[in-house]
Amino acid sequence: MSAPRNAALMGRVPLLPTTVVGSYPVPEWMERLKTDYYRSRMSFAQLTDLHEMAIKAALRDQELAGIDIVSDGELRRDNDIDYFLARMPGVEIPQTAKDFYFDYYEARVPAPLPDRFATAPLGLADDFTFTAEQTSGPVKFSFTGPFSLSRRIHDSAYADQRELVLAIARVLNAEAHALAERGAQLLQIDEPFLAGYPDAVGTAIEAVNIVTEGVDVTWGLHVCYGNRYARPLWEGHYDFLFPAVLDARVDQLVLEFARKGYEDLPVIEKFGWDRTIGLGVVDVKSSEVETPELIASRIRSALELVPAERLVVNPDCGLRNVTGAVARAKLAAMVAGTAAVRAELAPRITAPPVNDIAAASESPTETAPESVARGA
Amino acid sequence: MLVDFRPHSRLRGTTPIDITTALVPVVEALSEDSTDLSKVRLVCDWVQYRENFRDVVELRPILAEPERLPAGGPVIEQVGVRDDDMEVAVDVRRSGKVALKEHTAELLREHAGGGTGGRVTLEEWGPGSASCIWSFNARYWADLDLWEKSTGRGYEQALPGGESDARNHDAARDLIRKLFAVWDPLSDNNALPEELYVVELGVGNGSQAKVFLDEFRALDLAHGRGYYRRLHYLMCDYSQHVLDLARETVCDHLAHVSSFALDATRPRTSLGFLRYKVFLVYISNVYDNLPTDEVAQLGGRTYQVQTRAYLPPEQARALAGQANTTPDQVGALVHKLLRLGPALLAEAAPANFADTDAAVTFWRAAWSAIRLEERYVPLAGLDLYEIAPEVGGEMLRPLLESGADVRMHVNNGALASFVDSLQLLHPFGKLVCHDLFVTDVQSYRSHFRGPGKYDGSVVNWVNGPLLAHVGRRHGFDVHYAPFSHRSGGNIVTMTAQVRD
Repeated sequence: MSAPRNAALMGRVPLLPTTVVGSYPVPEWMERLKTDYYRSRMSFAQLTDLHEMAIKAALRDQELAGIDIVSDGELRRDNDIDYFLARMPGVEIPQTAKDFYFDYYEARVPAPLPDRFATAPLGLADDFTFTAEQTSGPVKFSFTGPFSLSRRIHDSAYADQRELVLAIARVLNAEAHALAERGAQLLQIDEPFLAGYPDAVGTAIEAVNIVTEGVDVTWGLHVCYGNRYARPLWEGHYDFLFPAVLDARVDQLVLEFARKGYEDLPVIEKFGWDRTIGLGVVDVKSSEVETPELIASRIRSALELVPAERLVVNPDCGLRNVTGAVARAKLAAMVAGTAAVRAELAPRITAPPVNDIAAASESPTETAPESVARGA
Repeated sequence: MLVDFRPHSRLRGTTPIDITTALVPVVEALSEDSTDLSKVRLVCDWVQYRENFRDVVELRPILAEPERLPAGGPVIEQVGVRDDDMEVAVDVRRSGKVALKEHTAELLREHAGGGTGGRVTLEEWGPGSASCIWSFNARYWADLDLWEKSTGRGYEQALPGGESDARNHDAARDLIRKLFAVWDPLSDNNALPEELYVVELGVGNGSQAKVFLDEFRALDLAHGRGYYRRLHYLMCDYSQHVLDLARETVCDHLAHVSSFALDATRPRTSLGFLRYKVFLVYISNVYDNLPTDEVAQLGGRTYQVQTRAYLPPEQARALAGQANTTPDQVGALVHKLLRLGPALLAEAAPANFADTDAAVTFWRAAWSAIRLEERYVPLAGLDLYEIAPEVGGEMLRPLLESGADVRMHVNNGALASFVDSLQLLHPFGKLVCHDLFVTDVQSYRSHFRGPGKYDGSVVNWVNGPLLAHVGRRHGFDVHYAPFSHRSGGNIVTMTAQVRD
């Protein structure tokens, strides 16, 4: 967690910046092709080309909608778990073919994960680099957190589930370092399974802090109630996160509100969360497109509890399960609703001079792509 | 010529089909006709329903051009391996009992001449789900009391086995214990909602609800968690009359029961407020009674089966005699019956019907007589075919992509109901359905799966693999198992619950 870094990032975007949580719609034709890959009917090179074209299109959609902080749509990933586990040293996938690309693998860990890595083994930095090269705007890069990844593993190596979670966190920490070295400035840890295991929140936060250790970027932590096939996996309230989450070394808490309602927002404030909140204002489990007025009213309600400087506006979760047309319409409505509220607030410098950004934000490494170094 | 003898298991056994009398005369009639035999499919079924919509022999045109074309660009012709233009369908259960060769020859002559053989056509060609047989079906449930009075037996007696599985106490106890097993840990973690919702679609006379509620109260008393106090049982049915009767059946539990008149294919129209809140959606013998289309993969091409209801000439004449009218007016009277019901029809057409009983007699005779012509129309693309709201035709692809010949039900109404019901389920909820399910596609190649007639209603088996596929694409595991609390029947239990 880095206050100067976070301030630098927020300085590059308007007040009430708009962003996405991560995933973007996968069209039906793309699902068929991705499934073809898992049935050995398409080569990896073809799949990679497909992914890259889709990512470019997703970025373009977000930019046209006016999103301030964009993402790659997680379009390389077959689901929220397998992309990471299939590349993680020590994780075995006995059956790699799939009936449908979105299905989960049966992953197992027969022996403790190796604790030393010569390089970041998951290759996330390459994914980020590609994305950053396609856009001049700030990029959010998200990945699934150690706790949720651990829930999809048949573990026969560790006597205590916590040890597995922490071991995965160490792998992700290596990835995070590599991402930061490539110029990533906003990383988000997704924990879609955490709400189903409220008793484990302490372990999950301990692992989050291992992931973020020594990685000087703006960190987001996304906790939702599940979004697989546009369905909630769990029910409950965000009070389970507290007080443990106050110890998390993250800058932003990105939460689901639009579907569930905003009753939990006062709870979060009551527990003393004084950092940024990613406010879910778009229900990603419904194809009904919110009006800009509805979005604006949700933001205004939140502003009664949280100052504008601490709010980021985003959908509840990833947009994977709605159609492209619905996603574009929802993002456009989100941007319009946010703009309406922004106009009502006191004027603020929305784009500081480039020199100021450079001063507030350390330069990326020499290998950082030009587009990232150039900034917004 | 391709011959597809589907009920091959009946060629063996103690009373095997005599193929020389059941099939060979059809081949002889075809051989003596000028039809291009290289473009003929001869398919044989064993239609097990004594009352059905089939004639012993039917000719089904196989069209070359689709009706609906994609916008823009050329129409991409499907690359097939055969170029059939006609299917001859034979019901071998009955074919040995008629002058088969002469009958087939007559049909071939009519077909060549473009005639209808004096049939009274009741509608235009269309997908099966749009046929007026579903209006008959709806009328049956709306005026069940009149039908039962006329036949002298209740609808459950018309079911195979004479009883609905819905009132099976063992099945209800099993279901309730599984609910408790889900609720206990949620309760321990303070994650169980205060209100525990159970929805039954197609409540019938309320006997399932009564069995469930009686057993629930008793088991909860023993369990000691106070779940009965929190239980809300929602009885849902198409007919308010049926719901009123069902409420009388469950009068001991009225504090825990609400009733909703709704269309089973769209439960969320009335129950949308329960999205993600229902722990059990229970359905028994409903899906097999909802409108359905059929699709077919023939010779490498995909077709929609279109149907057209008609009355055979002899039966049309008999109906005309019953109603003091002429055969060409019978169709209009049938549609008036479907629109008004027998009681109002008798009032609206006193010249035709002396009283309601006469109108009911006409209704039953028309239903018994009604048949369906069929034809195959190419589908220009699966994306052009909407199976149900939010369920596109692409969902059929995995079931058809092998390219092997198959004809199957789409069960549009059941799929619409299923998908809509899934939206109601709590993350830990499940949908349980007892019905006639086909559990593998191969079965369509060896057995006739409908439509048939159960008393005044329609029955079609339900395409289990399709529902399972659609369920998976909505994040649910779908399992099929024989109904475990009664042996020897065809009823299968489908269970759908969130996967992963």
